[in-house]
This record gives sequence, structure tokens and C-alpha cells, in this order.
Amino acid sequence: MAKSEVREELTPTPPVKKPPRFGLEADGTSSPAGLIIKIAVLAMVLGIAVWAALPLLANDRWVGLAIVVLVTALLFYIYLSPRTVPAKYLIPGTLFLIAFQIVPVLYTMSTAFTNFGDAHRGSKQEAIAAIEGTSVQQVPGTPEYVLSLATKGDPTTGDIVFLLTDPAAKQSFVGTSQGLEELAADDIQLGPDGKVVEAPGYTVLNIGQASARAEDISQFSVPTDRGAIKNQGLSRAFEGTPLQAYDASCDCIKDAKSGQTWTADDSNGLFVDSEGQALAQGWKVNVGLRNFTDVLSDQTLRASFLKMLIWNFGFAIGTVVITFALGLLVAIVLNKEELKGRRIYRSLIILPYAMPVVAMYLVWRDMFNTDFGLLNRMLGTHINWFGSTASAMFAILLVQLWLGYNYMFLVCTGALQSISADLTEAAQVDGAKPFYAFRTITFPLLLVALAPLLIASFAFNFNNFNAIYLVSQGAPFPPDNPMAGNTDILITYTYRLAFGGAGAQYGLAAAISVFIFLIVAVISILSFRRTHALEEIN
Amino acid sequence: MKRKLPIVRVAVLLAVVALVVSACGGGGTGGTGGGNAETSGAQLTIWVGGGPSGEATKKLGAAWGEENGVNVAVQIIPENLQTQFVTASQAGKAPDVVMGAHDWIGNLVQNGAIDPIQMTEDTRAAYEKLAIEAVTFNGQTYGVPFTMNNIVLFRNTDLAPQAPSSIEDLVATGKQLKAAGKTSEILALPVGPIGDAYHINPLYTSGGGYMFGQQPEGGYDPKDLGVGKPSSVQAYEKIGALGEKGEGALKRSITTDNILSLFTAKKTAYMISGPWQFADLKKTKLHYDVSPVPPFEGGKPARPFITVDAAYVASKGQNKLLAQEFVTNYWSTPEVNLALFKASPNVPALTAALEQIKASDPLVVKVAEAGRASGEIMPSIPAMAAVWDPLGKAEAAVIAGANPNSSVSAAGKAIQASLK
Amino acid sequence: MSELIPPSETMEPTPIRPPGEQVEEPRHEVVRLGSARGGWFRRVGWRHIVGLLALAFSIFPILFVVSAALNPLGTLSSSQLIPTGASFENFTKLFDTSFPRWFLNTMILGIASAAVSLFISSCAAYGFSRFRFKGRRFGLLSILLVQMFPQFLAIVALYLMFATITDLWPPIGFNTVWGLFLLYMGGALGVNTWLMKGFFDTIPKDLDESAKVDGASHAQIFFGIILPLVAPILAVTGLLAFIGVVNEFLIASIFLTEDSAKTAAVGLYGLVSEERNNNFGVFAAGTLILAIPVVALFQFLQRYIVGGLTGGAVKG
Repeated sequence: MAKSEVREELTPTPPVKKPPRFGLEADGTSSPAGLIIKIAVLAMVLGIAVWAALPLLANDRWVGLAIVVLVTALLFYIYLSPRTVPAKYLIPGTLFLIAFQIVPVLYTMSTAFTNFGDAHRGSKQEAIAAIEGTSVQQVPGTPEYVLSLATKGDPTTGDIVFLLTDPAAKQSFVGTSQGLEELAADDIQLGPDGKVVEAPGYTVLNIGQASARAEDISQFSVPTDRGAIKNQGLSRAFEGTPLQAYDASCDCIKDAKSGQTWTADDSNGLFVDSEGQALAQGWKVNVGLRNFTDVLSDQTLRASFLKMLIWNFGFAIGTVVITFALGLLVAIVLNKEELKGRRIYRSLIILPYAMPVVAMYLVWRDMFNTDFGLLNRMLGTHINWFGSTASAMFAILLVQLWLGYNYMFLVCTGALQSISADLTEAAQVDGAKPFYAFRTITFPLLLVALAPLLIASFAFNFNNFNAIYLVSQGAPFPPDNPMAGNTDILITYTYRLAFGGAGAQYGLAAAISVFIFLIVAVISILSFRRTHALEEIN
Repeated sequence: MKRKLPIVRVAVLLAVVALVVSACGGGGTGGTGGGNAETSGAQLTIWVGGGPSGEATKKLGAAWGEENGVNVAVQIIPENLQTQFVTASQAGKAPDVVMGAHDWIGNLVQNGAIDPIQMTEDTRAAYEKLAIEAVTFNGQTYGVPFTMNNIVLFRNTDLAPQAPSSIEDLVATGKQLKAAGKTSEILALPVGPIGDAYHINPLYTSGGGYMFGQQPEGGYDPKDLGVGKPSSVQAYEKIGALGEKGEGALKRSITTDNILSLFTAKKTAYMISGPWQFADLKKTKLHYDVSPVPPFEGGKPARPFITVDAAYVASKGQNKLLAQEFVTNYWSTPEVNLALFKASPNVPALTAALEQIKASDPLVVKVAEAGRASGEIMPSIPAMAAVWDPLGKAEAAVIAGANPNSSVSAAGKAIQASLK
Repeated sequence: MSELIPPSETMEPTPIRPPGEQVEEPRHEVVRLGSARGGWFRRVGWRHIVGLLALAFSIFPILFVVSAALNPLGTLSSSQLIPTGASFENFTKLFDTSFPRWFLNTMILGIASAAVSLFISSCAAYGFSRFRFKGRRFGLLSILLVQMFPQFLAIVALYLMFATITDLWPPIGFNTVWGLFLLYMGGALGVNTWLMKGFFDTIPKDLDESAKVDGASHAQIFFGIILPLVAPILAVTGLLAFIGVVNEFLIASIFLTEDSAKTAAVGLYGLVSEERNNNFGVFAAGTLILAIPVVALFQFLQRYIVGGLTGGAVKG
């Protein structure tokens, strides 16, 4: 410090204080308030990091721990360095975006390379366990036991035993891991429902104790010569045997009763028999590009893809244009300060936006009902709104207009307020007509301010599932094609394909989404280049 | 500003404070965060759908929990309960018990989400035969049923005192009433713009169609699809004759949203719907009666779908012991059945419960009788899920006047394609 | 439309003048059509008509929701506007459920999410608007593109993610408001950022420059100068974020299954049994009550939205 002070005195050039290369003041923060806030925030970050790291440590999750450490280090670097000023503003949102939007999207895209879906959700082991578990049948001719769960000795640590009573034969047994043993009737006490209530050497468990030992109980069974006795709840036990068992030597499932064999088909994740019949439970396997080729070769998709794409764009663009037009119009009209009741108008106009969108879609759908709907009754017509493509498209856009124009109205009002009135005033001083002033000054400025919003709104509506699905459900459907309707957009078609078949097919749906994503990305990039010009008008 | 803050000291102080606080907090949560099972007290989580039935389940669950010292948490899942259950099961967050329709069973089993249940002979015998059949899949029983619903014909007795013996009879009476200006619609059968294969099934079966053939050992055969076969086309020809270009009895503008208001406003004398309408109908002063959905004259019997709600034990639940106990021993009692019935008027599945309500709710018993007589269990095989959408759309097209042959064949083809 | 109005009356009063006072500037003597005083209709009245039309267009479907709320039969059908036997039964039934708790949850979540997401968005918008750095346009574009991925597919991934989070950090896991809050923050960098960036762009960079010359740091410029200038759009964005959170159902219904943790949207849907349309009246009643804080917030924010600007952006 002293050196620079000396320098200051000696040299006539204005003092240039060199900012520290790294630290709290690195980026020019100098006010005490600013510094304190920075310290507090960084301290909080550190605190959260430690709190997050402890369970990770406790559970040996090294990858998670590494991520926490890296992120914390990154945050410290960003906020203490002078060169990362943009990042200081962007990093919080970006972190959340990555964690909760990008990561799920990437994961979902990765499932496009698998057959993830119903019957193919888990691993092969899980499928085998499920197959064996659901094939357990009660051995015919065996009694239905009344069960008392008990332990030999201490309830929390003793070995589990089953105290069984055969109500028909009026006999009682004790079942251990060795097998069944008869119990003499005089030794034990039976309750009213036949349950063994007391037996020497054994402690009968109550519900609390039993559920504390639940895991041990679920793994416990009494072996018999034809199978095993397992409990069903707290008070019943059955002798059963799994009919189907996995044989590792042939990688197949064998049925003990019928002798049928199902061999593992690892390319499809199913157990299949010689005739091609598969067992219900399957597992998730990697299928490479199969989903993508299926999408490309799907006949319905090929025939209707162009149609759906065009309507998808038309719908999204149309929605943006009409909502913006009406919203702007009403905003301008109501922008006059002399207008009394402006506040009331504004509050009531945005009221639809406060209603849950899903309920409103349903109300509108009801209003379009051919025979009983409000619209037809008001207009005195009998239009089948969703019976023809043109009227269905009109209906959908009308609903979108209703739902969206008040959002645009709100934003345009804010915009009109923000844009300096001085500019318009100045123009009029020079004698320009008001409308001309609006057109050449206000509107371009508005557009600069709102163009990004319009683009974002387009993106949002491109995948506006509810707008189509809840209103028309894609109707009308050409009689020969129940899968792709005339008002279907790509996402509703994807949904139907994913969930309409014999079970959800997430992998296939993810593949379609990837395609849609690529198309939209290309188009967005191209249009983004154009708006780049708009940005610099200012 | 020239006064220098003791920056370094403040920073270090705050950092130390933050570390200490987080360490204490972290230690606390680390302890309880590792394991999430309650070690103190038994726990049972039940998932159920919304509506009055869900509320009743809450009360019943609480009662059982109190009696047995178990902490029962009944959670109401408003939408997509089946999908959410399967997703949760895979992620290791499954509940212990889930209540749902029987046609979920095929899908739940193929995802390894539910366990079979062993019922004693006595318990089994206490239920309606069809109810037990509905919860059986691949030879195993998977759920404990508690309701057994099917649709019937509701009839405004002021306008139409006699129950119609056939569809033609119904249409004739309906037309008379319409001509006399007493009603504006012949029949309120929900169709909608994309159709409704569930409500049209009695007419479909009466006209000769079927969904899936039966396997020799019982259960439906996914390889034998009835949609697209000539019998299904014939059935839809008859249905088409009743449609908008025909008698005008079936219309796409009539949906589940408006049948009740049409019926209660006396705009129609006939409504085809299920026992869930009883609660609202009680609030009006309407005079009505129920009877089985009539068949076509000279046709096969009209078979409405039977849907059963059941309680299932989740395979991946944390408290299977209590779940099994709850489902097999508590949910199968008449008291529970009756309590659920009081909350939501679905037909009880226990024969004893049905007997008990004979005096107070004769109409409900009539619904049960109609089901027993000619109901067919809705297929629970996973393949059935592929049928609803295309078949419904074919129905809507035919009712609008399209050619039955091309519509139904197209539906059949689409279903076959998605089953591959 | 503006052609009809004499130029002097399009001037908004400058901040110095007390609000509401109309002062005619004598220097603008332009030949006017019609008298200056009369023609209220021309100046203002026709605007009322447009306003009323817009109002009617907006309100009428809501009337059906009101009608359903008052209808003890509780079905969704637009055949009758005034239901037979209208009563407040549905509202009383509503308070028998856990609706008060759900309402509270929604308010907490809504306000917290709106406030924090507004802050994050505006910071990001400032970053995108003011700074030029490598990857700026890529960043902007990717925010948009991520939105275009169908949500119903990402749900499985989110569920798995949060299953792990619930195991490790229960306070931010399933059935907690804070877990859902974090999830919503993932969407903070979305449409709102784009919206605000546009407005930030309209503020001339000279302002920044002059402030820098005066020795302000980037943060001081942001908080002290830029933000107050875009107050209207901040208010609008905050309101929109709040509305979005209050009405969000899809993700919340998966995340919140316990009764006491639910938001109002999820809880209300649970009252309506899935396919049968019963209880729609109670649902409608709840919906109306839920709209009240939104309208109230809007009233409160109107002051900022229409506060008008010091406008002195271009001082020369």
C-alpha cells in the first residue's frame, strides 16, 4: 500500500488503483453492504455444501460428493474472481436449470436407446424374482393354517417361529427353519379364533413387535416336503410352492407343473417359449437405434407427419399472433390515464389467467358441444365443432385466444408503461400524427422489448399438450386412421403412441421426442439469427 | 469510503458459524436421513384415488390403525394413480397397499408391482363369483375386491313406466316421447367426439361382437382380437343404424359430462350409466327405475362390462406384513364393505353386504343382478389398453355415419399394430 | 384510433404535476376536429366499450365456474347459467376438507417461488442483456429448447432423482414444500428470462456507461438503476410466476401425496373422483377461492405496473 501511495505522489498521472486479482473486491464491489452480503452468501453456500455432503459421506456416495465439492468450488471461484462477471448473474439459474431440467431431459433421451416401458422397467433379476414370486401356488390338499407369529426367546433378537393351528384337524404345530413339529394340546393355549396365544418357550409377538421384525419374517419360511409354509399377514399361513423357477444353466424359466420352458431373450428383455409366447414380466434392455428406426418406418407417422408438423407450426404461430394482436390492441385502448375504472378493467380481464387452465379447457370443451353447448345455442347453429378439421382448428385457436390474450395484455400494458412517453411526445412536438408516431417509434420499441417473449411463447405453445388434448383430443380423426387426428400436434401424437398401446413405451416416446426436438432446434436456431438483428436496434 | 472493514475477520467468523450450524444440522439429518423407515411404531401407507370413496378409505384406515396400534397414512392421488404407482414402485417409493380397478392387474403384474394374495376358502366364498374372477390373473388371485360395478338402463318412470324389452322397443318409445314434445332426446348414452367403448359394449356384444376370445383355461386370449372380425362389423352396422344418420338415438354430442343433466332435466327418459349416479339422483326428486340394458331384438345378450375395485398388496412396499394383514383380514369384512358403500354408492362385492342393503337400496341390488345375469368381466390383460382408443374412435365415426366396415377394420388394424 | 384525439391529450402528465390533473399545453395550437371539451365519447367513451367487450369475453366462461360452484348437483354442464337450487353448500363442504391447509401451502410455495424465481430470472436477463460473452446466444437458445421437451416424459426421470434426494435429504424430498420449490426453480430460467431480457434491452446502454464512469460497480448498476427502471415488468413477471405456481398441477400431484403437504390445485383435484365428474361443484368453489389472492396480488402490483416511469432514460 505504501509503495503505491508514494508512486501517487511522484507521478502526475491520475492514480489507477489496481483491483485485486481474486477476492471479495475483485469485481469492483466496494460498498460495505455489498461486501457483507457477499460474505454472507458465500458462507451460506459453504454451510449448505457441508450439510449436503454429510449424508453423501454417510452413504458412500462418492460421485455425489465430488459434484457437491466441485459446485461449491465453482461458486466460490465465480464470486471471487473479477473476470466472471456475467457468470455471477447467470450461475444460480443455470445450476437449477441443469439440475432439474437438463439432467432429466438427458436421462430421458438416454432411455430412447432402451425399451424402457411397461413390463420393461427393471432389471433381469427383478423380473426373475417377480416371476417366481407370482407363481407361488398353494399346495393342493394342505390346510389353511391360523398363524401366530412368535420368537424363540427375546422378541427383538430371537429366531422367528410360526405357531400354526390347523382349524379343521384341530392340531397345532410349531414351524421353525427345520420344519414342522407338532405341539401337544395341553401345553398351549388357544384364542377364540384358533390362534395360539401362549406356548412354552416361545414369545408370541404383538403387532408392534411383529412389524419391527417384518424383514426377518418376510424371509422366513418353514420347509416342508412339498414346498414351504409362508405367512400371509399376521394371522394366516399357507403351504405353497413356486411353480416357476429360474434355471441359470439354461438361462430359462421352468414350470414345474406343465414342464414348459421359457428362455431368456436378451435382445427384447422377455422370457419366451418355443411358440413365441412370453411371460408377463420382462426387463429393460438396450436396443440401440431400434426405436429410432421404428419411428422412421412407422406407416401412420410417415403419412401424417407432414400434416401434423404443419399444423403444429400453424397452431403455435397462430396462437402467438392472435393473442399478441388482441392483447396489444386492448392494452393500447385501455392505456389512457383519463379512462376511469382502468384498474377494474385490468383486474377482471386477467381473471381467466387466475383460473386453473385445465378446468377452463374443460369448460370450453363443454361450450363447443354440438347439441347442448353454449356457442351453438347462442349462435343458433348446429355446427359440429370437432367434426370437421377447419372448425376444430378454429375452436382450438379461439380457446387459445381466450386463455392467452390477457397474458399479452398484461405484458403489453407493462411495456407501454415502460417505454418512455417522452419519445412519443417528442415526435408529436414535431407535428407527427399520433398513429404515425406509434407506428414508427413506439411499436418498433415494443417489438424489441417483446420479440423474445413472442419467441418464447411460440416455443411454449409448440408443445402445448393440454391445449389440444383437453379440447379436441386430436379430433377429427380420419375414419381410417385412429392414431393421428387432424388437430393432433406432434406431442399429442407422441403421448398417444407412448401411452395408448398395450402399456407405456417410454423408450419409443423418447425417440420421437428427440426427433421433434431436433426439428424444433434447427428452426429455432434459424429464427434466432433473425432476431439478433432486432436486439441491436436500441 | 475509506473505513476499512475487517473483511478477513468477518469472513472467517461467518464461515465458521456456517460450518458449525450446518454440521449440527447435517449431523441431525444425517442420522435420520439415512434410513427413512420409522423404527418407532408400525407404519402402513395406502394409496387411493380421489372422490368420496377416498375419504371413506381414510376413515376406515384410521379406525384399523387405532385398533391395532399402527400409524396408517392414506394418501389420495388425484390423477393417474396407476402410472404413479408403477413409477413409484420402480423407484423404491411404493406404498404398501394400493386401491384400484381390476383391469390394472395385468399391467401391475407385468411390472412386478403387486403380489398375489392367498385367500382362505371361506373368504373367497363370501364374495360374488364374478368379483373373484375379475381379480384372478394367470391363475392367481391378486386383490381383495370391494366394489363390482356395471352399467344399467336408468328409466324415468313418469315418462316411461315400462322397462323396454329390446333396444328397438326403447327407441320406439323414445321417439314417441320426442314426437309428443315431452323429451328432446331419445337416449342418453355417452359417446363423445372420440367415442366410448365402455358404454357401447352391451350393444356391441348384443350385435355379435366381442373383445378378446377366451383361453381354454379361462382368462382372455390377447391373440384372438374380436375387433376387425366380421362379427364386430355386423355389430357396428346395427349400432350405426341407431346413430346420427339413422334413428338419432346415439349422438356424439352426448358425453359423460352431460348425461346426468339431460336425465335430471327430463330432456330424456332413458340414460345408460352406472351406480355412481345414484348419489346425485338422490338429491333430485326424480322418479326412476333401473333395468338391465336391453339387447337388440333377436340378438345375443347385451353384456355390460363388470369393473371391480380391489385392494392390492404392493410387491415393493416396506411393510408387507401389515399390508397383507390389512388387505386380507380387514378389507374383506362386511363392515368395511358397507362403510364404503355408504360413502359412494358402488355395488358391494361381498354377498353378505349386498344382502344387507337389499331393503334400503333395492336399486343397487338390481344393478348387481343385472351384472350377475349378463355382465362380462372387463379384460385385465395388458392388451386391452390398446383397444380403448381406436375402438372408441371407430364407434364415433360409425355413429357419425361412416361406413362400419372400413372404420372397424381400420381400428382392428391399428390395435394389431400396437400389440406387436 | 389515436387519430381522433387532439395531440395535446396524448401527453401523460409528467411526474412533477399532481396526478390526475389535466393541463392543456397552450403551445400546441393545432386545428382540432370537433370541440375540445365535448367528444368525451370520442376520447374516452369508445374505450369503455372496447373495455367492456374485452371484459365480457374474458368473464363469461368463468360465470360457468361460478354457476357450478353454486350448484349443489355439482356437474360440469353449461346448459344452465343459474342452477336450480343454488346454494353455498359447496363452499361449506370445501372447508370440511383440508382446504385451508392446502391453501396455506399454496400461498407459501407461490410467494416464495415467485420471489426467488423473479430474482433469478432478472439476474439472468441482466446477464444476457448487458454482457457479451462466449456462449451467450447458445445459452439463450438452450433455455428455450429445454422447454420444448415434453414434460410428461421427464417425469419418470424427475421421480427417480427425487427418490434419491428424499433418501439423502428428507427436508427437501417428496411431500415437502421446499423440495417442490427447488424443482420449480429449475424452471426459473425460462420464458420469464426471455421476457425480461427484451425489456432490459430497451434500456439504453449509455445509462450503464455513465454510471460506470461515476464509479458504480456492476451490482450497483443492476440493483440501483436498471431494476427500478423495469419495475413494471418485474411486477408483471412476479405476478405471472405466482399464477403459474398456484395453478401448477402435473408435477405437484406427483410430488405431494400426503394430505397435509398438498397444494390447493392437487387437493382440489383429489376431491373430484377421476372419471365420474362428481363433486365438480366443490372443485369449482375451491377454484374461485384460489383466484382471490391472485386478483388481490394484481391489485397490489398495479401500482408498480402503471406507476409510470421517470422515463428519464434519455437525458442527453
